Amino acid sequence: MIRRRHSFVSNLAIFILAQLFWLALVGLWIYWYVSNYLIFEKVGEKVSPQINVQAPEVFPFVGGLILLVGLSFIMVLIFRHLNVQIRLTSLYDNFIANITHELKSPLSSIQLYLETLKTREVPPDKQLEFFEQMLRDTNRLQNLINSILEISALESKKQRENFTIKSAKDFLPKIIKTSADNFRLTDDVISISVEGDSNILIDEHSFKMLFDNLIDNSIKYNTGNLKIRVKITCKENKVEIEFKDNGIGIEPKEQKNIFKKFYRIYDSDIPNVKGTGLGLYWIKGIIKNHNGKISVYSEGKGKGTTFKIILPSYKSKK
Amino acid sequence: MNDDNFPSAKILLVEDEESLAKGLEYNLSEEGYRVDIAKDGKQAIEMFDKNNYDVVVLDIMLPYKNGFEVAEHIRDKNPQMPILMLTARTSVDDRVKGLEIGADDYITKPFHLKELLLRIEGMLRRKSWYVKSVSTNPFYHFGKNEINFENLRCKHGKHEFHLTHFEAILMKYLIENKGRIISRKELLENVWNLNPEVETRTVDIFISRLRKYFEDDPSNPVYIKSVRSSGYIFEPGKKD
Repeated sequence: MIRRRHSFVSNLAIFILAQLFWLALVGLWIYWYVSNYLIFEKVGEKVSPQINVQAPEVFPFVGGLILLVGLSFIMVLIFRHLNVQIRLTSLYDNFIANITHELKSPLSSIQLYLETLKTREVPPDKQLEFFEQMLRDTNRLQNLINSILEISALESKKQRENFTIKSAKDFLPKIIKTSADNFRLTDDVISISVEGDSNILIDEHSFKMLFDNLIDNSIKYNTGNLKIRVKITCKENKVEIEFKDNGIGIEPKEQKNIFKKFYRIYDSDIPNVKGTGLGLYWIKGIIKNHNGKISVYSEGKGKGTTFKIILPSYKSKK
Repeated sequence: MNDDNFPSAKILLVEDEESLAKGLEYNLSEEGYRVDIAKDGKQAIEMFDKNNYDVVVLDIMLPYKNGFEVAEHIRDKNPQMPILMLTARTSVDDRVKGLEIGADDYITKPFHLKELLLRIEGMLRRKSWYVKSVSTNPFYHFGKNEINFENLRCKHGKHEFHLTHFEAILMKYLIENKGRIISRKELLENVWNLNPEVETRTVDIFISRLRKYFEDDPSNPVYIKSVRSSGYIFEPGKKD
């Protein structure tokens, strides 16, 4: 964080200095032009008073100015581009640190259990517990690897989405339930309500991953008794999915950032440090592929988070 | 704390990864240690303040307060508490930062169970050696320096400061072997308990810190001198 702020400040300083340099150059250009013109006029008068020196030609003067303004405009563009790149690089560094943590944690756990089983006489019931723990860890590793692979597929648009027409009323609750079961959430933790029905064009696999991610976030960023409420409202030409939890919420200034690639909120109040900064970026990509929209709403810290997804209804052309 | 019987030692294990925490707890208990688990930085500090521990095993990436902050808190309260940092980070900067804050040892994930257990045992042994060797006379003078090995308070002229646990152990080792050339390898073996992950650079960092504390001109050391391509020698001088 500090390094990032530092690089931003130094970039800004470079930018301001460059602008000052350009301004000075423009000033110099005007000065040079005017003084040269004056000398020229004097010399002209001396050498040949008959020659009527024309008023300064406007074209080279204006031309020079336009060139300088154009150059500084290009500099602004380059600066902006550079800044985006620098931000992305620093986010990427964070991502590498996070992914290292995410990969190494389950790996060390598996190694620890295997070495324990190899070196100690572990009673059978404990053994079973260890095996289950190891399977959970391999699962975690698999999910992580999948999500990295699928992100790159999503970005290179290689992901072949299998769009099928589904009834929102039947399909959405079912798939949310499957995700909830994955995380062993009971019905009193997650409630799903549906209003109306319409058809949607949807890729089942992507949507399963989407809800896995949303639920995972809700679990990670919750300090009390988790409650998730999903409200599905089918309107004439759109389907609205409201995914609301009672977690730690997101501060307004962070809300616009959370869909950015690799972005993670660093705050000492956050109860969990796991994550890659890819989940919501990916969710946004999936929704975009479905021609939908996603937005986040939270009243602030400690007040829960609501994600609102809008998908267009599918109407068969007759 | 004077007890030589390490297995009865009490360990505070700070680890937010549930599966790893459970696995470690099982193994440490099997070794005979008593183990308390803290799941985040805040809880670790609370538990540390309430109970007495012999060793702290500390993860770095923790919710609420990270391992570095926890280590600093522990150092403030108890400069002699041995801290073993456990982390997925591998950068040299992280390692140096951890050791500078006052961690005594550093182990990276994934680790070998045997190695972790050896390190913990080494820390306990070191602590017990230290406690024993300072119990008779905790004070040591050289030049205008005075060290109290019991509470780790030191004086350099009028300037007063604290040593970290590890600095004190290193200083103690130098004092016990004064007038003899001590190689970096020897320091690694006996002070760091042969830790292949701690490079000789770490030894140099610690030595330069000791020089900053005790030398009038750290770049021209009088007491803790370098011996070209051999190591270091501690010469307390005539006043000793």
